[in-house]
Amino acid sequence: MIRRLLVANRGEIAVRVFRTAREMGIETVAVYAEDDASAVHSGRADRAVSLGAGPVSETYLSIPRILEAARASGADAVHPGYGFLSESPELARAVEERGLSWVGPPPSSIEEMADKLRARARMRAAGVPVVPGSDENARDDEALSSAAKEIGFPVLVKAAAGGGGKGMSRVEAASELPGALAEGRRIAAAAFGDDRVYLEKLLGRARHVEFQIFADRHGNTVHLFERECSVQRRHQKIVEETPSPALDAALRRAMGEAAVAAARSVEYVGAGTIEFLLDSERRFYFLEMNTRLQVEHPITEATLGLDLVRWQLEVAGGAALPVTWRSEGLAPRGHAIEMRLYAEDPVDFLPRSGSLEEWIEPAGPGVRVDSGFERGSVVGVEYDPLLAKLVVHAADRPAAIERALRALSEWVVLGVETNRPLLEAALCSAEFRSGDYATDLVARLPRRESGAPSDAAWIAAALSFAAKAAGTAAVAGPADPWGAANGWRS
Amino acid sequence: MSRLTAGDEARDVRLEKGSAELDGRTVRFREIRRGGALVALEIGGEVHPVRAVREGDRVFVACDGSTYEMRRGPAIAPGASRRGSAGEHGAGLLAPMPGRVRKTLVRRGERIAKGDVVLILEAMKMEHAIRAPRDGIVTKLDHHDGDLVEAGTVLAEIAADGT
Repeated sequence: MIRRLLVANRGEIAVRVFRTAREMGIETVAVYAEDDASAVHSGRADRAVSLGAGPVSETYLSIPRILEAARASGADAVHPGYGFLSESPELARAVEERGLSWVGPPPSSIEEMADKLRARARMRAAGVPVVPGSDENARDDEALSSAAKEIGFPVLVKAAAGGGGKGMSRVEAASELPGALAEGRRIAAAAFGDDRVYLEKLLGRARHVEFQIFADRHGNTVHLFERECSVQRRHQKIVEETPSPALDAALRRAMGEAAVAAARSVEYVGAGTIEFLLDSERRFYFLEMNTRLQVEHPITEATLGLDLVRWQLEVAGGAALPVTWRSEGLAPRGHAIEMRLYAEDPVDFLPRSGSLEEWIEPAGPGVRVDSGFERGSVVGVEYDPLLAKLVVHAADRPAAIERALRALSEWVVLGVETNRPLLEAALCSAEFRSGDYATDLVARLPRRESGAPSDAAWIAAALSFAAKAAGTAAVAGPADPWGAANGWRS
Repeated sequence: MSRLTAGDEARDVRLEKGSAELDGRTVRFREIRRGGALVALEIGGEVHPVRAVREGDRVFVACDGSTYEMRRGPAIAPGASRRGSAGEHGAGLLAPMPGRVRKTLVRRGERIAKGDVVLILEAMKMEHAIRAPRDGIVTKLDHHDGDLVEAGTVLAEIAADGT
């Protein structure tokens, strides 16, 4: 059993893991970079260890510093969260070599899936369909050009060592290919230290549907149903829901079986996610495997009524998966939607930074907020702009959408611009409500003109300017603002 | 009387006790405060939850499920919006977002063509190619690779060719 758990991460995911660990009687250890010492997560663990100063590569991305923090704090297990070093076989191996528990899959499973070209070859061998594309033998421009002609334009250039859309670009015609390959190689080399790129056919109006899988060290591998992740901008998800409106029982069974086969083929252990593309003809293709806990895992927790982090920790401690999971005894209840609140411009998606002057989270029936921020938190440029995740659960899909919009309207965030208007526009759109949408949903949303502020908004602003003291005068100011208002009214 | 703006919208607002004039129209209101802080306004029998935070010349307002950034003074001229991809300001090329200069691909004095990548800006998990908006000569280039820049910082200036 795990006694003291270090979470090698920050933000909402660190807070989320601490919560479950505490419920299990496991002591928690946070790590933080010096420039991030006031972050919420470092105050939510039993102890917090500094990773020192420097760029992210020398703090949250530094294996030696994470290992030193584990040693100094006496931790006997490491949970990597998502992002940062969560898919680093080097960290997984180093943790295990020191006799600590790694709350994740074996390093060999991570390596097999991290190399997208090798993963595609392995999936083909396991009988799992992959997106038509170039194979491992196509390395130079000439071979990739002829592969592109065979696949047919448009194609995507992707980094073999990549993920998260980094180094990815869309190519419409053969003439654009050499430039896109060069750019892709440059970004891939800089980001991953590996400049290999490959091509995938760009499927028209595809949906992105993923399956949660879970495996223990006793030979059990199961899937925990799907998550629909087609609402994306910049190839990154912003809204996820389960069940997927696109699947029926037969397709769900076929995709679930493929997901389990994919996980088994790399001898997977723990929580993982198999991502599929689903085309307009309802054919599905393996896209990639995320060998870690997924950002959107809470919607699975909501409909299945379970705690995935708890089972990550149980499996890392040697436990077998529950019998109900292994005997197809799990049945999702109701409908769940996750919305990711990002500090970014809702129109051009560019990240924003600043200080959260006001922060009031939504609450109420069927509402969960996983957040790494509070009032006063600073949103910097060095870290992921994800502020928090709002997860709603309701009896059915229409009720979940109404609950989502209700909860979004309760969210008060002042000081940093967020994508909330985009989330509302996506959920309100006829296309999303119909359930018949694909990864082009965000691009197809009608351009929204932000409405004029209401009378109440103008009056509130005027009252704020009228208050005498600077800063947060209108919030904490004198009970009678009129005494202070003269200067402004003159 | 004061002129307030929110994006393209503007109102002349005059506060009286218990009422406000918005572009000459009188609106009666009641403040609901908690611990001195304004939490709602009652207007015509309807309660509007509201939060407002002032930061210098800006007030951030959350009201009825929407969020606004309001300013005092004349409206921002159309076209001066900070939105958009790499913005231009005179001859300058502006950082569209806060980030870190990853790699500068041109030199001062260099003649470049419209569409050439001037530098790569990295913000959070993305790299953005900042491209020249027109042909010209690089006359200003103040940042070094690795520098942090704020949104709106002039990254480079490009003088039109032959001037």
